[in-house]
Parts: sequence; C-alpha cells; structure tokens
Amino acid sequence: MVINGLALGLIYVLVASGLILVLGIARVFNFAHGEFYMFGAFTVYYVMAGAHLNFIIGLIAALIVGALLGAIGYKAVFHYMRGDLLRCAAASIGIGLILKQVALLLFGSSNYGIARFFEGMIEIGGIRLSEGKLLVILLALLVVTGLYYLLFKTKTGKAMRAVSLDAKTASLLGINTVYIYLITLIMGSGLAALAGGIVAPLFMISTEIGSVMLLMVFTVLIIGGIESLPGAVVAGIILGQLQSFGYHFFTGDAELFFYCCVGIFLIFRPGGIFGAIVKEIY
Amino acid sequence: MPLLKRSINVHFFTKIICALILVVILLLLPFIIRDPYWIHIFISAGINAILAMGFVMLHSTGLVTLGAAAFWATGAYASTMLVIKAGLSVWISILLGGIITAIIATGIGAVTVRLSKVAFVFLTIVVGAIVVLIVGRIDYFGGWGGIVRIPRPNPITLPVITIDFSTKAQYYYFILVILILNIVVFYALYNSRIGRTWRAIKLNLRLAKTLGINSFRYSLLAFVVAAIFASFAGSFYAHYMHTIEPDTFGFHKSVYIQVYGILGGMEYYIMGPVVGAIIMTILPEILRVTKEIEPIITGAILVIVVILLPGGFLSLPQIVRASTSVLKDNMLLTLLRNKVSSKERVDHGDTGS
Repeated sequence: MVINGLALGLIYVLVASGLILVLGIARVFNFAHGEFYMFGAFTVYYVMAGAHLNFIIGLIAALIVGALLGAIGYKAVFHYMRGDLLRCAAASIGIGLILKQVALLLFGSSNYGIARFFEGMIEIGGIRLSEGKLLVILLALLVVTGLYYLLFKTKTGKAMRAVSLDAKTASLLGINTVYIYLITLIMGSGLAALAGGIVAPLFMISTEIGSVMLLMVFTVLIIGGIESLPGAVVAGIILGQLQSFGYHFFTGDAELFFYCCVGIFLIFRPGGIFGAIVKEIY
Repeated sequence: MPLLKRSINVHFFTKIICALILVVILLLLPFIIRDPYWIHIFISAGINAILAMGFVMLHSTGLVTLGAAAFWATGAYASTMLVIKAGLSVWISILLGGIITAIIATGIGAVTVRLSKVAFVFLTIVVGAIVVLIVGRIDYFGGWGGIVRIPRPNPITLPVITIDFSTKAQYYYFILVILILNIVVFYALYNSRIGRTWRAIKLNLRLAKTLGINSFRYSLLAFVVAAIFASFAGSFYAHYMHTIEPDTFGFHKSVYIQVYGILGGMEYYIMGPVVGAIIMTILPEILRVTKEIEPIITGAILVIVVILLPGGFLSLPQIVRASTSVLKDNMLLTLLRNKVSSKERVDHGDTGS
C-alpha cells in the first residue's frame, strides 16, 4: 500500500511540477494541463497497443506530443497575453475544451487499458511488490532528478529562475524572456504528458482522467505552496499516501475528510509547506 | 477605467432610456420566441449572468474566486430543504436560503478573505469541493443522486392573471425580476462610497489601508453580497428544474462562471458579466447544429476572443473607435504632410484622437 501511494504520489509530483513551472515562470494559469496529461497517456497507449512498440519509445513519443502541444499553445495563444493571469486562465479553458473534444472524437468515451503489461511481481525481503509500480517510482524519481538538475545546474535553469523572480529585470539583464517562457511551457506540458505516459500501462485511461488529475494537482499546489518545487514533491507524496491509506480506512468519507484537512491547513499556512507566510495580508 | 470614462461621457438619462428599452425587449422576448427550449436557454443565461456578476463584484476588490458555484449550491439546497423537510412556502424559503447563505458566507469569508490573494483562490476551490462533497455524501441532503420532485413556487394571484409557474415563460419573468433586482443593487453599490472603496482596494491595497480603509470588511461585504445573489439564483434553479444533484455545482461550473466574467469584460462591472454569460450560454446552443465539433468551435471562439479583445466583448466598440480614429488621424496626417509645415503637423498630433 505504501508503494501504491508512493507511485500515485510521484505521478502527482510530476504533473504538479509541470504546472508549477508554467505558473511560476511563464505566469500562465493553465487549465488545459490535465488534458496534456491525458494526451500523453493516450500517446503511450497507441504506441504500445496500436503499434506494438517499446514502452520507452512510447514515453518519448508522449514527451514529444506534450512538448508540441505546449509550444503550439504558447506560440498561438499565451504569447499574446503574457502576465495577465485571468486571461490566460480563460484561454486555457478554451484550449482544454478543444483538446478534450478532439480526444473524445479520436478515442471515444470508453475506458482503455493496456492490460496485463506489467503484471510481474518482485520479491524483496519477503514483500511482494508489483513490477509496474516500482517502474513508475523509478521513472518518476529519474524525471524529478532530471528536472532539478536542469533547473539548478544549467544556465537555462538559472535564466528560468531569474525570470520567475522578476521578468522585467531579467529581460533588462539580457535574458530572452519569450524564449524562456516557450521553454517553460514546453517543459511543463512535456512533464504532464510524460506523467500520463508513465501512468498509461498501469491504470485504466479515458478522456476524463485529465479533469480528475487537474483537481488533484491543484490540491498538491495548495499543500505544497504555489511556487515551491520541493513543496510539490513533499505534498505530492503525502497526498498519494493519504489517498492510498484514506481509501482503505475511511472508504467513502475520505475525500470529505481530506478536503477539510486541506482547508484547515491552508488557513494556518497560506503559503504551503515551504512557502513563506505571504506578506500581503488583509 | 472604462466605467469612469463612460459615466462621464454618457448622459445619465440616455443610460436610463437605453436600459428601459432593453428591459422592454427582454419583457417581450417570450412573445417573440415561443419555443420552450429557447426560453430555457435564456433562463440559464439569466442564472449564469447573476453568478458571473458576483464573480466580477469580488474581482472589483481584487479577489478571484474559483468557488463561485459553492454559494449557488448552498442557496439551492437550503431552499429545497426548507420546502421539503420543513414544509415552508417557496417564497419564504428562497429568502431564508439567502439569509442562511449569507451567514455561511460571512463565516467562510471571515476566514478566507483575510488571507493573501493566491491563498484565497485556492481556499475557494477547497470550499467549493467541500460543499459538493457534503451534499453528496450526507444522505439527508439527497446524496449523489440528488433531490427530485422539488415543488414549484406557490401561485401568485394578481388582479388580472394568476401566475402559477406552469410554463417556462413565467419562470423567465421570475429570473428576469431577480436579474434586474441584482443589477439595480449592484449598480447602486458600485456607484456608492462602497464601490469606490472596492476599486481603491483593488488599485492599491497598501495605499487604501494607509487612508484608513478597513479593506477586510469591504472585501467581506463584496463576498457576502455576491453569495446572497448566487443563493437566490440557486434557489430559483432548484425550483425551476425541480431536481438538483451535487455534480451540477462542481468545480467546472465555477470555472465557467469565471469565463463568463472574463469574456464580457472585467472592467464593465455589470454589463460585462451579463453579456458574457448570455453569449457563452447561447453560443454553444447555436453551434449545436455542428454536433460533435461544437465544443471545439466554442473553445476556439473563446481563445480568439481572449486574444483579440483583451477587455472582453464590451471593449469591442472602444477598440473599433480607437482604430478608426487612428486610421482617420493617419489619413489626415498623410494629407497634411503634403500641404502644411511640420509645426502644424505637431499641433494636429496633439489635438488628434
């Protein structure tokens, strides 16, 4: 069960860190993020079940699809409303509508599953673990580490953090902010699609998973703090465990209990786990 | 601030006359369009307009809510519960539903409005989720299946006719009355000291506080007023549809309310959300002939409008006026360039537009 929770939590971490990048650096409140995730899942499904190719190729395809969607979204839409959160939100709702309907037309409304793909069990110290879940955990950890490396060790990452701090000053100092925004959207959407791709062989997928995921990711953002990546990692893992255990012990009332906890938590720590207490208080 | 500019430019009486003509057209609408289906669409548009106005009212203090549907739900459920379980008259329970919602909103607002803007957005999402889960989980409120067979409002006997709420047109007039009441109250609020204070808070919170404004109280007022009218819309919805279920009041509805506000234009406090809600409710219905690709077209139109009209639908005349005046200026300038000296050209540039 711990492993289940961890796998689920790490998926949340992936999608949430994508949204945090997009929100924190490009200032785009992306309601279409869940649909990117859904498209990633379907890409892997078609690569694996339709074309009978390797899982890794599927993941790469998902990454490319997500990146393309992000790039098109930025170039065609978000570029024209930089800095205006509300307009970005409205436009992204429009994009979400389009993507969801396209998915419905392409894939139909039924559930898909790449059945019996990672059914193997591994025994470690007498505990039987599902191979697929372990693979998810490994992949997710790999991706998060990669993201950290990119953000904190490379020059682009430095520029991205600078833009996130103060876009105007950054552009004065010679950082091409438009390029950074584009890169950010590509990365964020790519992450969402990648997470979807990782999930595809394990759970049933349908066109609805995007909307469900979006709400969960908002919750991760709430708990972790809106612009804090480590917060998202911790919050995502906590959330995964809570869900895994909560459904076991509380069954139906888990969600209600959970949202009440989140609400109370937010009242006392509006900035999230690692977030500074926000100064601008009424 | 377009609103300020407009209220100086447009004469007050012209405004009143325009509003009256509009009201007359709206009153005659059920006689022009007799199809009950379309009247249903207009009723939904009215409900959406009320909800969107609440969203914009909260935004006029600088706060963004993503849980606007929560108070819609409390209104609907409070009124329904009072009618079904307590056996009260529908009219009384609609009012009582408003009061209950106001109490709940004051309680929630007292906690949430204090926090930063970002935390407020997220808290409203959480509140919206909690409200839906409470009414869904607890069987007393009907559970996920919702409540069916909600009675229609008691008939009103007027000297000439009796309104018994048997046809859609009568509900249409009911929502129209609520909508107009809402507009009048909001108009009065926006044009009073309170509305000016809201704008001051949004413009510069610190400066407003320095001037001695209790920003918390004013924001809370906006929160509660918006909630009360959302509750009226909710009660109306319950008694109009005769059935309510928790999923109607979910997160997606709050998101759509936000879209109505943004598309209409956030700076046009009253007409913006109304126009946005009407267009965004009617547009998908018109496009329904295109069947499956309808959401795609709606989404595309949404994106295009947001890109091309930063100030919403209502900023269209202004943009047209501005662009035509720029065109005119350019033409004049090219004409003048051939004839007059550079000094006069500069003068024209100052007086132009």
